Amino acid sequence: MVMIMGIEAENKEIENSMRETARKLLKEKEVDVIIGYTKGTVPLSSAPIMITKEEDVDKLIWNNLCYVNLAKYLVPKIPQLIDPEKGDLKVGIVSKGCVGRALIHLSVEKQIDLENIKMIGIPCNGIINRKRIEKEIGEKEILEFFTSENDIIVKGKGFEQKFSYDEYINELCKVCKVKAPPTLAELAETCVGECKEISSVDDDFEDLIEFESKSSEEKWEYIKDSLETCTKCYACREACPMCYCNLCFVDQNKPIWFGKTTDLSDIIVFHLVRSMHLAGRCVACGACSSVCPVGIDLNLITRKLEKIVKERFNFTSGIDPKKTPPMMDFRMDDAEEFMLEED
Amino acid sequence: MKNEIGKLYIELGEEYNFFAPIKEKGNLVFKKILNPDDIILDYFNSKVPPKEILFPKTEVLFEYKTDGKEVTEIIERKDLEEKNIIFGIRPCDAHAFVLMENFFAFGDYQDEIFLKKRENSIIIGVGCNNPKSTCFCTSVEGHPFQKDDMDIFLVDLGEKYLVEAISEKGKNLMNKMPWLKNATKKDVQKAAELSKQAEESIVTKLDLKDIEKVLDPNFDHPIWREVSEICIGCGTCSFLCPTCTCFDVIDDNDQYNNRGRRIRIWDTCQFCLYSLHTSGHNPRDSCIERCRNRILHKFCYYPENYNTLGCVGCGRCIQLCPVNNDLRSIIEKIKKIDIKKEEKISA
Amino acid sequence: MTLQTKQEEKINEEWEPKIIAFLCNWCSYAGADLAGVSRIQYPPTIRVVRVPCSGRVNPYFIIKSLMDGWDGVVVSGCHPGDCHYLTGNLVARRRFAILKELLEFFGIEPGRVNFMWASAAEGERFATLIKKATKIVKNLGPNKKFEKKW
Repeated sequence: MVMIMGIEAENKEIENSMRETARKLLKEKEVDVIIGYTKGTVPLSSAPIMITKEEDVDKLIWNNLCYVNLAKYLVPKIPQLIDPEKGDLKVGIVSKGCVGRALIHLSVEKQIDLENIKMIGIPCNGIINRKRIEKEIGEKEILEFFTSENDIIVKGKGFEQKFSYDEYINELCKVCKVKAPPTLAELAETCVGECKEISSVDDDFEDLIEFESKSSEEKWEYIKDSLETCTKCYACREACPMCYCNLCFVDQNKPIWFGKTTDLSDIIVFHLVRSMHLAGRCVACGACSSVCPVGIDLNLITRKLEKIVKERFNFTSGIDPKKTPPMMDFRMDDAEEFMLEED
Repeated sequence: MKNEIGKLYIELGEEYNFFAPIKEKGNLVFKKILNPDDIILDYFNSKVPPKEILFPKTEVLFEYKTDGKEVTEIIERKDLEEKNIIFGIRPCDAHAFVLMENFFAFGDYQDEIFLKKRENSIIIGVGCNNPKSTCFCTSVEGHPFQKDDMDIFLVDLGEKYLVEAISEKGKNLMNKMPWLKNATKKDVQKAAELSKQAEESIVTKLDLKDIEKVLDPNFDHPIWREVSEICIGCGTCSFLCPTCTCFDVIDDNDQYNNRGRRIRIWDTCQFCLYSLHTSGHNPRDSCIERCRNRILHKFCYYPENYNTLGCVGCGRCIQLCPVNNDLRSIIEKIKKIDIKKEEKISA
Repeated sequence: MTLQTKQEEKINEEWEPKIIAFLCNWCSYAGADLAGVSRIQYPPTIRVVRVPCSGRVNPYFIIKSLMDGWDGVVVSGCHPGDCHYLTGNLVARRRFAILKELLEFFGIEPGRVNFMWASAAEGERFATLIKKATKIVKNLGPNKKFEKKW
């Protein structure tokens, strides 16, 4: 028998088991602080929260708007997670699949020590593409938002609109293969709650075929058109768990590599180099697109990165903590079909 | 009359750069328009504030030519004399221009570019019939129908507009619109009603009275640690704030063509580079100090320096913060410090 | 065909691209030298920047060159296995692979940026490949995509 559960019931179940795990962790003093999500104050939002007391556990929520990648708070570690006397606090972190992947990959890059971290794994059921809904609603104010059965319903003064859940989740979530944090045997200690053992991910990248078949000119027009509105606020960079450089390349001024203006070429170069830096590291959480204040969709680029790395180097980031990421590695027999050769 | 906006544009479009709210890629933006039919006046507010018109994201200050080594010629900007009309902006954003002027005209250094542009701009604003749930202009000495900061003020009466000239500039411009009909008493009455309705529909009320007196002595209060906990340090709140004026000046040198230009770009106190000294020391090293600076600047330094609050209550930072670090709850928390302190004193 | 388009075509034919070439010190730079002393003809479109190793070539260099208006970029190093620093070119190869695919994905003509191997003994090969690269870039025309509005 196939059970069909509404999104709402699913969320409730995830939320309850998450709270239980969190409560247990705090009670048994396994962690000092838990980072999770709480209800946002405006519709279509959620806010990260840090709790230290057992009675606050009920503030933790799970819904389909928990878009921030919480691994962000660990690298660089925010001062609130360091006790002046005890040193690094033990952190419990509510982990959907991509948060788990980010943590594993960050440990591969030796940025965090998984021994101090407990992943509270949850089987994520997708994040709503809030920018798309906002754009479609247009000049009306969304005052209320909820999910029912398999629909997203937004309400405001004098209107109510239904969106299909399957259609209006993030493009990355539609093709996501790692819903819960991936745990291989060596991570069993780290992961509590719902985790899943995955050793490799198969993906056919069908969603990219359409774009890739376009001509150079068409691609350029599309990229130009979608990035044009960028204000260079760098919210995408700040929300990205993998962007932890002390000094970002755009901020370097000795020498000045790339301009900080909002000229189209500077914007495109920023996104080009940023994606270059994320090759083999991006964990496809979609936080960059979710936080963009002007609603730029970077998911397509993210997907392409995944594809390049998967096809060329057979690597998926944040799955296996023992595997060396492709950009830290090389092989004598790497493919080199792109090299210029004599006819 | 509504369909006469087109007439206005035909009349003035040649003489003035006509900026108005239009829809672009799903976002409402203020842009120089080419077709008056694109104008959307039935909107809440734009994401990127109209400060962009007078203080663009990227603005050339001057251009220069070199002979390969030395600068040989400096080319000043010529477009500063151009006249602008900023049409359809909200009272909060219009008030923001006044606040920005405080900064750009402060002390000995007058920012000619901004001030000249401001002088050459005529602001035609529209009353805000439907404030958003995050709007709080009434808490910062504003009002959804405040018209003091505009040249011409419009009220949307449904099928027509009530047009009122406020300043001298506005009155002169009104003379160019002979097709306007005299307003009836009924219209004026309706406008007053709408104004009242709008005021009442503002649900966010912040108690900002004497907030600088609370903020000033509590510079090192642990509350800042709490407030900045979830901040990820992106610049959204200040980039999209209509009153934030910080900028960075950079040289864009094109050595291949022996030329260059000096540019100013938006900058924000939320970036770690903003306050980094050449010595390597950074007085605002973490999010805690940076978050504090934003609040203090708006609600403490502004009142001290310019005798007014540095916030117009548009609610953009509440709406657009990626981690939903809500200004309303921050203010609430700050207000609570005060009470505790008073209790201590009385005890 | 109008007179104007005829003229334009003539200009196009005469137009020579400017290509920046990052050559590794140990192989390709010497290879270029050999091509020179052997009097092998190749188009004078490249401007050479000598780098210690192809692994030194940061993708920034390539993107920055495109941004600065170079019509094409060539990076050349030792054949895999011959690197003076043993594995510098292998590291570089992975970077180039990703950069090449990304540039293409962003809609920048794939032929703008070319990678090649040429050893110190391959003057002939060096000249042939530069000829080939010049032809590719010439067909693409001037690099306008990164031009700033001035």
